[in-house]
Amino acid sequence: MNEYLSSICKEVIAGNQTEVKELVDKALKNGILPLTILKEGLTRGIESLGAKFKAGEVYLPEILISIRAMNMGLNLLKPYFKNSNDLQHEGTIVLGTIEGDIHDIGKNLVRLMLEGTGFRVVDLGVNVSASSFVSAVCEHKADIVGISALLTTTMINIPNVIQALKQNSLCGRVPVLVGGACITREFADDIGAEGYALDCTSAPEEAKRLLRGREKS
Amino acid sequence: MNISAKDRFLNIAHFKSHDLCLPSSFFLFWPETLILWMEAGAPEMIRNGKGRIKFFRLDHARFLWELHSGLEVAYYELKGQRYTYFITPIIPRYESRIIGEDEHSMIMTNEAGQKMMIHKVHAGNMPMYLDYPVRDKASWETIKKRLNPESAGRWPVAWDEYVKKFYNRDYPVGLSVGSFFGFLREWTGLERLLFWMYDEPSLVEDMMDHMVFFEGVIIKRVLKNIKIDFAFLWEDMAYKAGPMISPEMFRKFVMPRCLKITELLRREGVDIIFVDSDGNIDKLIPLWLECGVNGFWPLEVAAGMDAVAIRKKYGKEVILAGNIDKRQLTKGRDSIRNEVMAKVPFLLEQSGYFPCIDHLVPPDVPFENFIYFLNLVREICGLEKIDSYSPI
Repeated sequence: MNEYLSSICKEVIAGNQTEVKELVDKALKNGILPLTILKEGLTRGIESLGAKFKAGEVYLPEILISIRAMNMGLNLLKPYFKNSNDLQHEGTIVLGTIEGDIHDIGKNLVRLMLEGTGFRVVDLGVNVSASSFVSAVCEHKADIVGISALLTTTMINIPNVIQALKQNSLCGRVPVLVGGACITREFADDIGAEGYALDCTSAPEEAKRLLRGREKS
Repeated sequence: MNISAKDRFLNIAHFKSHDLCLPSSFFLFWPETLILWMEAGAPEMIRNGKGRIKFFRLDHARFLWELHSGLEVAYYELKGQRYTYFITPIIPRYESRIIGEDEHSMIMTNEAGQKMMIHKVHAGNMPMYLDYPVRDKASWETIKKRLNPESAGRWPVAWDEYVKKFYNRDYPVGLSVGSFFGFLREWTGLERLLFWMYDEPSLVEDMMDHMVFFEGVIIKRVLKNIKIDFAFLWEDMAYKAGPMISPEMFRKFVMPRCLKITELLRREGVDIIFVDSDGNIDKLIPLWLECGVNGFWPLEVAAGMDAVAIRKKYGKEVILAGNIDKRQLTKGRDSIRNEVMAKVPFLLEQSGYFPCIDHLVPPDVPFENFIYFLNLVREICGLEKIDSYSPI
């Protein structure tokens, strides 16, 4: 790999925002394509960090400072992408905390990780109704619906979204990815959600798996 | 001869008894749960703490909440609804007021200086915090002034009379000894605190050092006159995949300060020191043990905590409370029996265990199921059952 790209990747993992900014600037001046810097430098760094998180080598503070460093580099790249399609997103995810629940710490971390790994995220916020999820899926031509719940008393509203997707013939075409403090793999399976993310760093990998599954079908 | 709740509590915590003790301090309920239960026919007496102790035959365990040394419950009442949340022990408190509302929610600033959104329909739900009072060093200095352990409002005016209440008691008394990570998060917000651990470590250390000073003054003054049976830290620094910060950061920021508090407590004879942290604390237990903390609650099953495995791993090093999966209590009797029988007989036999739900009892737990759980535990210990519909 190009020396600049491997250094960008390394500094993203270390969370060094100043170094990332300088390296991205140098890489651009040395003629490396913005998309290559994004994919091979910044995104690769965030993906490596996700693996380290799963292995228990890094924790939430390290994730946050790395995403901050990545954004520092991304800001330099943005002027080169005339419209959002030029960024060649992995896919579009409509994301929100389920109706009845107004907690968003976990959801926001998931959003940061998804954006950091190349997804376009439409964040609907908290207390999102089934109909709002469906409307957003149609409006933004979403590939995945991401639903978060903190409480056992609100997670029971998630099947309403799946039901609403079914009623609008979107079920199966737009897979549902669930997560949150109270959500388990068993619960996801029981309600017919196609995807489950244990934590924020698992979300991008699971989202990519869902997209691959969709391409095959 | 009847053994007092205090002696039973101490004997169990010291691994000297296989008795049952259900300390009321570990039996917490969402307000909505109690309302639903009463609507479904449960007696009105369960509305308040004393009534619950009597009806559910819990063991009275008294926290010295009025000294404002730990996390406190606060309420906001509007149009017959009571909205519940928790605040840090700031004195004087800020004025709480509504600054905006719509059909579903209202936004207010609370007594601890936080801006929060409350769900109108589900009054018992935890609020979502939108902004926090500590944004930099200057705003920390403002909050710090409200964390004076000597503030007049923090201590009962008739201290001598207050102290006398605790002479010759037959129930255990606990003191909240604060929080390091937890309180700081309440003042800064999680994201800012996590960033500051890298960007502003000296400010984080100053905040934690102040908490050592604050709690130290309170502990010394209380223990001069009142014999405390247990201490309680509140941290909530884990989620279901593990701790929010690395063991290295825990060692750097939390451990040296926590040790100062536990060493002070132990010098004064308090050797039962609990920590309250939700989430998966498997990686934190050995660190807390190193800090001198030896009690763990609530041991959330949904986060993968297993009290039986913890007991087998740590033996008598750890006192355990909780770990009965609240989700199983929403199901039928078979599920509750499976959950209880897989844990309670073994843990009681080993001693050092207080059976209770793994956090606040949520509103989707039917009253009958909660009674069934209590009766099952009582049956294991050879005690007579509670009549579910008539007060004792």
